[in-house]
Amino acid sequence: MNLNTELQKNNSFDAIVVGTGISGGWAAKELTEKGMKTLVLERGRMVKHLEYPTAAMDPWQFPNGDRPTQEDLKQQGVQNRTGYTVKQSSKHWFVNDLENPYNEVKRFDWMRGYHVGGRSITWGRQSYRLGDLDFEANLKDGVAIDWPVRYKEIAPWYDYVEKYIGVSGQNEGLYQLPDGKFLAPMELNCVERELKKSMMDKFGRMLTIGRTAHLTEKLEHSPQRGTCKFRDRCIRGCPYGGYFSSLSSTLWAAEKTGNITLRPNSIVYELIYDDTKGKATGVRIQDAETGEQTEFYAKVIFLCASTFGSTHIMLNSTSSRFPNGFGNDSGELGHNIMDHHLSVGANAEAPGFDDMYYSGRRANGVYVPRFQNIGKDKREYLRGFGYQGGASRQGWMSMVAEMAIGADLKQAIQTPGMWTIGLGGFGEFLPYHENKVYLDKEKKDKYGLPTLTFDVELKDNERKMRKDMSREAAEMLSAAGFTNVKEYDKEIGPGLGIHEMGTARMGRDPKTSVLNKFNQVHACKNVFVTDGSFMVSSACVNPSLTYMAFTARAVNYAMDEMKKGNL
Amino acid sequence: MNRREALQRAGLVLGYAVSAPVLAGVLKGCKAAPELTFKPDFFNPDQAAIVSEVAEIIIPKTDTPGAKDVGVPGFIDKLVKECYSKEDQDRFLAGLKEFDEGADDFMDLDHDKQVAYVKKVHDEALAAMKSGASKERPFILKMKELTLVGFFTSEPGATQVLQYEAVPGAYRGCVPLSEVGKTWAT
Ligand SMILES: Cc1cc2nc3c(=O)[nH]c(=O)nc-3n(C[C@H](O)[C@H](O)[C@H](O)COP(=O)(O)OP(=O)(O)OC[C@H]3O[C@@H](n4cnc5c(N)ncnc54)[C@H](O)[C@@H]3O)c2cc1C
Ligand code: SF4
Repeated sequence: MNLNTELQKNNSFDAIVVGTGISGGWAAKELTEKGMKTLVLERGRMVKHLEYPTAAMDPWQFPNGDRPTQEDLKQQGVQNRTGYTVKQSSKHWFVNDLENPYNEVKRFDWMRGYHVGGRSITWGRQSYRLGDLDFEANLKDGVAIDWPVRYKEIAPWYDYVEKYIGVSGQNEGLYQLPDGKFLAPMELNCVERELKKSMMDKFGRMLTIGRTAHLTEKLEHSPQRGTCKFRDRCIRGCPYGGYFSSLSSTLWAAEKTGNITLRPNSIVYELIYDDTKGKATGVRIQDAETGEQTEFYAKVIFLCASTFGSTHIMLNSTSSRFPNGFGNDSGELGHNIMDHHLSVGANAEAPGFDDMYYSGRRANGVYVPRFQNIGKDKREYLRGFGYQGGASRQGWMSMVAEMAIGADLKQAIQTPGMWTIGLGGFGEFLPYHENKVYLDKEKKDKYGLPTLTFDVELKDNERKMRKDMSREAAEMLSAAGFTNVKEYDKEIGPGLGIHEMGTARMGRDPKTSVLNKFNQVHACKNVFVTDGSFMVSSACVNPSLTYMAFTARAVNYAMDEMKKGNL
Repeated sequence: MNRREALQRAGLVLGYAVSAPVLAGVLKGCKAAPELTFKPDFFNPDQAAIVSEVAEIIIPKTDTPGAKDVGVPGFIDKLVKECYSKEDQDRFLAGLKEFDEGADDFMDLDHDKQVAYVKKVHDEALAAMKSGASKERPFILKMKELTLVGFFTSEPGATQVLQYEAVPGAYRGCVPLSEVGKTWAT
């Protein structure tokens, strides 16, 4: 056998999945469970479930009270823009910015981690469905293009993924926030109950407990996972498997099939396109440790490298057929970047509950579903926002601003501080063609690959909405009898919602979209893109559950097509 | 997304640093300096002595351990060295110098006078912060913050003064404070 065919044979699989985050984990599970020999490529280091170095550490085990050092800030200055991720307890889940540079025409915050599991380890786990209010929005408003999908098509897939990952929450029967298949909800605390009641009585608006991918009950199909122990240390990785991550859940399932080959340290930089077959035959990778370049081949390829990860690969995959990037006949690849705009809302103090407290650390808050531009409600902007927030009693940090010092302080601190409550808006971000990302071929990273340049901004619709986001929050907090109500708007750059999406949108018309309604590249049938790139509008809810549902559905479709001989 | 806010970091560079020589205790009556409970890496011995005493005044030993017992002075030394920017370090040291000068040599005061002086500077600083007269957090409040962080992230601070549970097991959202007892450390 000659060397080439040998290589061809050893490096050939039924399917390739690029990325091991939320989308890649799902693609790997579904493909392997359907019997496909699947190669899963991940650019970052290997991490196995339970290998979470800081998960069981107590506060006194971290130097500097868990704060970042100046050296940390030098290495991870961009990742630290969140203000809460670069800590001694969690910094290892976020990239080194010096080694992973990108360019900003305007400030753009790209928050990410390169390792097996991706951001499924660090995500906030809030999980909500889009509904027809969202799927029909572009068509009704004449914005961008119509979603090629309606709620009833995707609803069974939402059911399917919710049941598998386990989502704790409360069904409320709302049109704008479809019900789901939930595990027992977590409790609201006293002050949140008060706000819920006041909002319903005075505004007819709902406040519900956050819907979150935590196990409040055991899952029969995932015996390796335990229930949540209310430690609120999820960002470090959960040794109980209390919340959903690729490591605790989908990659475990894929492993069980015996059909998965997981290759870490494998930076996919290009899809291989075969002009005569009109198909992609595989991918090219560069080993992150050795620099060696290798090709892998498969019948079907799933790009799940996160929105910008997959877009980078596609933009970098040029050929005579695709001179402007893979599948980019429409010219939309890299455009229509969306996120959720946030860091705007209101806070207040809640007097009158001094003799009440709580026990346990609930890694979840409250949710206020969108109420704007629904039914008779009309605003001077399109779409709307929801709120996430919660109430708690202040702890020892609040003593900095109290008069006591000495023995008095030690005494006073043992009584919990004042109750405070906050509502922070998550606003829908419209898709604008001019909000885009593209390759800078001159500026290369340490692997010699071109870097990404972002040119994204909030526009009028988002700005108008923000005014409403802080105003409405303040109004509802005041109406509940809370005091010292303060509005805030920290004008953040886009990206900080960490819900980046839209760069390879789906649609009915190949002239205006990159993917069809099954996440399949219009112009190359055996390539599917199932991370946030496919999104046509952002809605105002956290998106990852939607990526999971579309991923599972895309695999199902791909398998059907394969059986029919269409791939 | 997490709701916690970013720590506000100081914006403007303060020009050039304060000159280093911390007054060579001339002309002062000699009082035996209390022994340092740690080996400073960032502060000089005089600065370290002041930081130690102020921390202990903010959180003294009572029937539970105090700041010095749990290593807060060393914690502050390390944190200012590793986590503060050069500008913030300079500002901290300048504030410390001013604090010391205001007492006409803090370490020369007897303990009661030290406590009274810390209390006075602290109360004035809080009043100024609250009235909006002072924008930057003054030295004494930075000291207070660092002392609290060091103390309540320590095991004795978290488990003896406050209460701490590594694995709570459940969440109960609305319970009488009397059932819970005291403030949670985290
Ligand atoms: C702090 C935080 C809080 C969040 N909270 C929420 C929330 O509450 N709810 C919610 O819905 N979402 C939340 N998100 C967003 C959520 O994490 C993402 O939407 C989700 O992880 C996206 O899944 P993904 O698979 O597309 O990408 P990722 O999870 O980022 O995974 C992509 C993977 O691909 C790998 N990769 C990238 N490029 C390549 C390449 N060229 N070759 C090989 N591999 C590659 C990466 O290393 C990574 O492992 C949060 C994110 C963060 C960081
Ligand atoms: S809060 Fe629950 S899911 Fe999060 S780390 Fe703790 S036990 Fe795990």
